Amino acid sequence: MARLPEPHFAPDCTISVDGREIPARSGESVTSALLAAGRPLLSRSAKYHRPRGPFCLQSSCGSCLVRVDGAPNVRACETACRPGLRVETQNAFGGAAHDLLGAIDLFSPHGIDHHHMATWSQVVNRVAVQASRQLSGLGHLPDQVPAARPPAEELRIDALVVGSGPAGLGAAEALVQGGLRVLLCEQDRALGGRLRCRMHLPGDPPLAWPGEVARAVERAGGRVEARAPVLGLWRDGTELLAAVDRRGAGRMLVVRAPRAVLASGTWAQPPLFPGNDLPGVHGARGLLVALAEDGVVPGERAAVLGQGPEAEAVAERLVAAGMQAERVEGEVARGRGGRRLAALDLADGRRLRCDTLAVATPRMPAAELARAAGAHLELDPATGAFRVKPGPAGLVAPGVWAAGEVCGPCTAAAAVEAGLRAGEAASRG
Amino acid sequence: MGSSKAFLCACEDVTAEDVQRAFARGYRDLESVKRYTGMGTGPCQGKTCLALAARELLRLGATPGEVAPFTVRPPLHPTSLGALASLDPEALPLEGGAPVPLAPAVTPRPSMPLPARAKVVIIGGGIMGVGLAYNLCRRGITDVVLLERAYVNAGASGRNGGGVRAQWTTPTMIRLARRSLEIGEHFASEMGINVWFRRGGYLFLAPTREHVERIEKNAVLHARHGVRTRILTPAEALEVVPQLDSSRFLAASWNPDDAVVFPWPFAWGYASRAEALGAKVVTFTRVTGFESTGKRITAVVTDRGRIACETVVNACGAWSREVAALAGVKLPNEPERHEILVTEPQKPWLQPLVSVLGSGLYFSQSGRGEIVGGLGDPDEPSGLDTRSTLRFLARFSRAITAAVPITAGLQVMRQWAGCYDVTPDNNPILGAAGHDNFLQLSGFVGHGFMMAPAVTELMAGWMAGDPPDEIFQRFTLDRFARGDVKGEDFIIG
Repeated sequence: MARLPEPHFAPDCTISVDGREIPARSGESVTSALLAAGRPLLSRSAKYHRPRGPFCLQSSCGSCLVRVDGAPNVRACETACRPGLRVETQNAFGGAAHDLLGAIDLFSPHGIDHHHMATWSQVVNRVAVQASRQLSGLGHLPDQVPAARPPAEELRIDALVVGSGPAGLGAAEALVQGGLRVLLCEQDRALGGRLRCRMHLPGDPPLAWPGEVARAVERAGGRVEARAPVLGLWRDGTELLAAVDRRGAGRMLVVRAPRAVLASGTWAQPPLFPGNDLPGVHGARGLLVALAEDGVVPGERAAVLGQGPEAEAVAERLVAAGMQAERVEGEVARGRGGRRLAALDLADGRRLRCDTLAVATPRMPAAELARAAGAHLELDPATGAFRVKPGPAGLVAPGVWAAGEVCGPCTAAAAVEAGLRAGEAASRG
Repeated sequence: MGSSKAFLCACEDVTAEDVQRAFARGYRDLESVKRYTGMGTGPCQGKTCLALAARELLRLGATPGEVAPFTVRPPLHPTSLGALASLDPEALPLEGGAPVPLAPAVTPRPSMPLPARAKVVIIGGGIMGVGLAYNLCRRGITDVVLLERAYVNAGASGRNGGGVRAQWTTPTMIRLARRSLEIGEHFASEMGINVWFRRGGYLFLAPTREHVERIEKNAVLHARHGVRTRILTPAEALEVVPQLDSSRFLAASWNPDDAVVFPWPFAWGYASRAEALGAKVVTFTRVTGFESTGKRITAVVTDRGRIACETVVNACGAWSREVAALAGVKLPNEPERHEILVTEPQKPWLQPLVSVLGSGLYFSQSGRGEIVGGLGDPDEPSGLDTRSTLRFLARFSRAITAAVPITAGLQVMRQWAGCYDVTPDNNPILGAAGHDNFLQLSGFVGHGFMMAPAVTELMAGWMAGDPPDEIFQRFTLDRFARGDVKGEDFIIG
């Protein structure tokens, strides 16, 4: 079973992947179609030509770059399927499945020190530099010049909210209550953040809430944009300046606002063990969204890495979808498999057969925008993660507040609270 | 099948072992580890590897100060040059975001205890400083201490496009640049570190009649000095770069022997060879003043103590004026921000470094396949500022997509900025100034990287007793007082 049996999850079109037809649902991501088809292998890695597949499924990692309709280095997880979409794998000689250059990996078990390789002779060095240039890069140039984008739209708004997870929704709600026009930007294709995983943890807001907030924002004269990553936060005099790429609508936004609430959440983090890059290793939240929204059942046997209620909920969801799922609360010693994960060697000596690893260990706060605004960070030595360390009500810089998981691990309910407080403070500020 | 590789950065295939090797070689702080291993420079822009690297460095024994996260680099989501070209640069300010400190707030552990004395103290861990340290050691002067306020490569040496060209407008600059090209060609095998030197050539596009006259005049000079510059028609330029929009220029100046290198390992190579020969490279140590007697500096004072010395060299690039002021010497240098960006890597398609005269646009394809390029801003005020602007993203994207339309489909991954060290006549400031033993090695106006191999070799020779090269007599600080000033006007890329 590769999809849940509900009729609305049935494929309605096909896309072509390296010339082979793959069933897909219009509008779902290319990664969803490929995982449902049991094909997590997408490309070969930059240096060692190792098999690579999508990891985060949420447009933060760089592991799912493919060529789409003649355009290179496009994230498969951000590409919506439609009939006849042409997807090609990259950086592989003879196809991603049988890349001959995979030999580079086999012959360098401890890696290649590219700083010092082939420096013993000038002639050898010249040849090595030329050869490495030929092997460099991922995709080839685009087939054609893309159509010119229409001029960017200039938008003045009362408040910018980045992220539509529990904290961003809370902030948007409070700002609307305060009578402000809000621009709510979500990088992913739908609102909700981690609520879209449907983990149903205690205190989680209802699934209808994101839609209600969106309507309230729009009724108050604001705007809601999905597929709209915020590219940076600058200042223009006393105002904040942001650029937003509206990937669905074509026109970029140049936003000026006196205040912003950054509820940018977290990025998926891979575990660190040999073989941690095998196709089949995925961020658990991305996997649960694909399961909930596209009915994707990524394999037969899953291991769920991590501790606590979230990891438990992940395992429950996968089991409910018909997979076998085993929790791994300790360390993994090694991942085994060729073109896909086949087993995990655990630190306690056990070998766990699995085709999918759902990584539900702590994620990294998406602190980039807050840092661009001048926020202070705090290091968690256990995970190496840097969280935003805000002042009262989430204030991180003049006119800028942060809320939710970007300030450290918290439940969705706590994130909503933090978002409301930040939104209220921002309404007054 | 098993694998021994644990990937810390899957974008660039950087393993935990790579980070361990970097740490063992002394690259301990996250900014240096990022540069040395390449982690965090791929399409995920550091989102997936930053915490893993920090955790691994802490495990290896790094201090919390050393794992301060590397600087945030917009655009935070890869965005196509075509999309960014839809922004109107005129409506965007020259302002960046929050200030970017050069060194982390919690100072990382300096690389070694501060020596009490040294024959020569070099201030500045950029290419000039480390190049001079290495060349002094080669000439037998090994009692050298180099002081760097942050890490090696923190300033313009680690922020430039890596171009090395012989296409200059004066015999002196041509001579220096040609020597640098020679050194660059042998650098990897002589210094034991790859700099990815590639003679892909430099192609200057001349969009107006006036520019054509200039490149024609320069080509005559180049021929006289053995540089193989040819003036190409637009059709001939298309043979070098088929993707150019040939309607946008009238002619092009082409020297196939000009080159591009990867800047970081150039400075690492000099620094590590200098250390192997006896010099000491002391990082995360800031110069706060000087002690002097009469016309001589007797000691350099730092935030970690003082070093007695016989000679001091000021090689601080854009910070040279500040450092000279600590010795009571007034330099006319002005720092000026220049911004630059990099795209996602593509398979090789662009052979030369291309520059459009008049606009200041330049770009080339790096050894890893990325397009690396910058563009000066005529409205840029002087001042030490390494923040990135949205305005630059818009200006650069418009300029490069006009010159090479297919680039509209390439994604920008990262932007950053460095400071040019600008002098009133665009020529460097060399020789003693203010004190008999306070030597200047600054004012290279964005071309220090390409001039450093030749200039530091000559300067070390002079300091070791060779007769001075004419540059050490011509480019002294007192030329401005004498009024003996003839400007260089080919300041691009």
